[in-house]
Amino acid sequence: MREQAVLRSGRRQLASLVAGWMLLVAACTPASSPSPSAAGSAAPAGTPGASAPVSAPPTAAPTPSQATLKLGWSSEPDTLNPLTTYSTEAEEVLQLVYDKLLGYGLDLKPEPELASSFAYSSDGKSITFHLQPNAKWSDGQAVTSDDVKYTYEEIHKDSLGQYAQWLTDLLGVDTPDAATAVINFSKPQAFNPGLTIPILPKHIWSSMSAKAIGTFTNDTPVGSGPFTLTAWKKGETVTLDRSSSFWGTPAIAAKVVYVLYANEDVEAQGLKNGDVDILTEVPPTVWDGLNGADNVTAASMPSFSFHHIGINVSTAAGSKGNPLLKDKTIRQALSDALDRNQLVQLALAGHGKPGNSIIPAGLTDWHWEPTADQLMDANPDKAKALLDAAGYTDRNGDGVRESSTGKPLEFRLIAIQSTSVDVRAAQLFRDAATAVGIKLDLTTLDENTLGSTVYNKDPNWDIFVWGWDSGVPDPDYMLGVPLCSQIGGNNDVFYCDKGYDALYSQQATTVDPVARKAITDQMQQQYYQDAAYLVMWYQDKLQAYRTDTWTGWTQVPGGMVFNFTRDNYLRVAPLK
Amino acid sequence: MFRLGYLARKLAILALTLLAVATFNFILFRVLPGNPIQLQARAGNLSPEAIQRLREIYGLDQPLISQYLIYLRDVFTGQFGTSITFQRPVADILAERMLNTLILLAAATVFVVVLGIGLGIVAAARRGSRLDNSVVVGALVFWSLPTFWTGLILIFVFGVFLHALPVSGTSTPGSSFTSPVASLVDLARHLVLPTITLALVDIGQFVLITRSSLVDVLTEDYILTAKAKGLSRRQVVWRHGVRNALLPVVTTTALYVGLTIGGAIQVETVFSWPGMGRLMYDAVLRRDYPILEATFFIFALVVIAANLVSDLLYQVLDPRVRET
Repeated sequence: MREQAVLRSGRRQLASLVAGWMLLVAACTPASSPSPSAAGSAAPAGTPGASAPVSAPPTAAPTPSQATLKLGWSSEPDTLNPLTTYSTEAEEVLQLVYDKLLGYGLDLKPEPELASSFAYSSDGKSITFHLQPNAKWSDGQAVTSDDVKYTYEEIHKDSLGQYAQWLTDLLGVDTPDAATAVINFSKPQAFNPGLTIPILPKHIWSSMSAKAIGTFTNDTPVGSGPFTLTAWKKGETVTLDRSSSFWGTPAIAAKVVYVLYANEDVEAQGLKNGDVDILTEVPPTVWDGLNGADNVTAASMPSFSFHHIGINVSTAAGSKGNPLLKDKTIRQALSDALDRNQLVQLALAGHGKPGNSIIPAGLTDWHWEPTADQLMDANPDKAKALLDAAGYTDRNGDGVRESSTGKPLEFRLIAIQSTSVDVRAAQLFRDAATAVGIKLDLTTLDENTLGSTVYNKDPNWDIFVWGWDSGVPDPDYMLGVPLCSQIGGNNDVFYCDKGYDALYSQQATTVDPVARKAITDQMQQQYYQDAAYLVMWYQDKLQAYRTDTWTGWTQVPGGMVFNFTRDNYLRVAPLK
Repeated sequence: MFRLGYLARKLAILALTLLAVATFNFILFRVLPGNPIQLQARAGNLSPEAIQRLREIYGLDQPLISQYLIYLRDVFTGQFGTSITFQRPVADILAERMLNTLILLAAATVFVVVLGIGLGIVAAARRGSRLDNSVVVGALVFWSLPTFWTGLILIFVFGVFLHALPVSGTSTPGSSFTSPVASLVDLARHLVLPTITLALVDIGQFVLITRSSLVDVLTEDYILTAKAKGLSRRQVVWRHGVRNALLPVVTTTALYVGLTIGGAIQVETVFSWPGMGRLMYDAVLRRDYPILEATFFIFALVVIAANLVSDLLYQVLDPRVRET
């Protein structure tokens, strides 16, 4: 998802998971699993067609407490309707209220949610889920496979919300009995949508048309998850109570309260005062101030997000971008000129890692790393040599190179005013470009204006600075951004390459993670070398929590909370 | 007092102004770059079909003129449409936010107006005294304080060091109150710091305006006459001075009430107070047209109404400006 878009403050990215996949494929596909190496690592279900638990259930059930866990955040949900929400905050609340078929554990590997086990068919085109026997909706009705069928088929039929993208190949859902759902696709599914789509109660939702769902506010959500929503005081707090009808091990916390702060400094004071127990997102300067405070742990974890420089490579007739940027040499020279370590140190105050590929390094199993030969970074001499060789030289002695037809290498650069790290990065980028004879004119805009400038049918801009984090735990999302078909959609630089598109379709249906990784590596390398995106850094996920109120926080790549795992909420215990 | 004709004329002008404001708001937000559906759609990777449904739900698929007519209907029925961000009726959202803003500003306005005018009168009556000097200096100092900074300082002193008062929101998160009284006490505690911040910063203008207006009046000949008649100092100041000095004060009060209803953005931000100011600010960033149109309209309505009230008050207070 668009990082730091107005409504999306960011998280929930690509979680990795070759390892998870290995386990999953091994456990859940017949022995004829496409890759022996994948199947070899985990053995539980060698029998064809057998199903198996995804991972061990939580250990020893601790005693539920009467304590309230309080989280401080700086933005609140837009709506509690999972099919219309665009905010990370709503997703965070909703993942405690609703179950998906599968979830992620604290190791970011798949674990059971509503489905206690599942199995892939041998062709990878259908997945059979066995539901938890005692799952109930919070209004007392039983959860059945009809609910799964309704949810998947309705999302697919009416193309509802962001989940529809995972069901484009859906044929339908069979329900042989109330506890079994068989989800059938027209193609093998590399990404299991059970990991991301919340299951909704058919008896509440099925009476609504697509348009009615579009305006449904879902103020009193009925879910099957570990918590139920009890109050949303708009502009202030969201309160959840532990559900008495949850099928799994109940949470230790009796209540979870999210407290909205309109100011980051006051939010940090709130943590220091003990008004809240954990902060979901801490800006670097505030984090530095909290680091070392009494009874506070400031945590820095890898994230699944990046910030990048995007270059307009549109070939559309209406594009008003500078045509010189269609020359890959100039883009590569800009990439060579950029010192990413300097960006991390100066713009991010050290809270991140230099970036390269569009799959963040935090996703260790999917990230592709350029070799020393392929690396484009902090090498102004190489940039100059490239430009010289391509005939871009300074012909009139003004310090700016010109093309053979006398066109100066001068481009417009835009960044979001309120995202100070981007503005600083843009300034450093401008200086780096100047040093190799390319002039950049920096303008800052508000986010919505930048968005409508960049995403324009006839793009009238040259270079921007922005960021991304993917909405789902799979490389598919980020790799899908530069597709030709996403021009007019997510594709913000108008990149289009048929070869890349073909590789994309191939990886999406390659269930074997090793074979899939070979394809995704090739795609990352191609996109890196085509240099329409200059990934600047992978920023750290900064959070902070009190050590004297709750114990048992597990630091996870992507964050202790605001991640795809909800298990920290279930496991932390009060100290008093 | 005043004639019905005068009132009718004033009301007609008010109605025309409102129509103009409503129209201006509609145009203003649509010429701003940016598009409310756009960022939502990008964020969610929506299908074209889903984007089209969003446009239909918010009426953005209609021609501009129909959008305008629907908008006018919504405005004058007080419905204001559906918020694009929150996907709920704007009227509901406004009701919640307006209540919070009114609570905060009622408390602050009482302080500011009563104390400000009172101090101004005292200072003017003792013009040149040490008391007068301290009041004027104090008023200037407080008026010069940045609201944001003052709020943060109060937070650090009363919230962080003394742990005496809550520093954010309107109630203690996660608490459940046994009686309405306990909940009111909790609200009152949350009100203290934001109210003091607003009062400290805004009181100066009332002190200074009241003082200077009264100082002018107290040099008039009729004050000398009053004194010569042997009236007590109290009678001179209050009966002959203050009433005549009130006109600019009434104007300032009307403007103050009008401006504050738009929300005290800075105080609301520092103290995380969920009022109109923050709602409007967020709506600008998100291009939430229905909320923007509604808040700007209400803002205009209150300013215009406050001015009408002050015009009418003039008529009551001062026979010299009475019109027919």
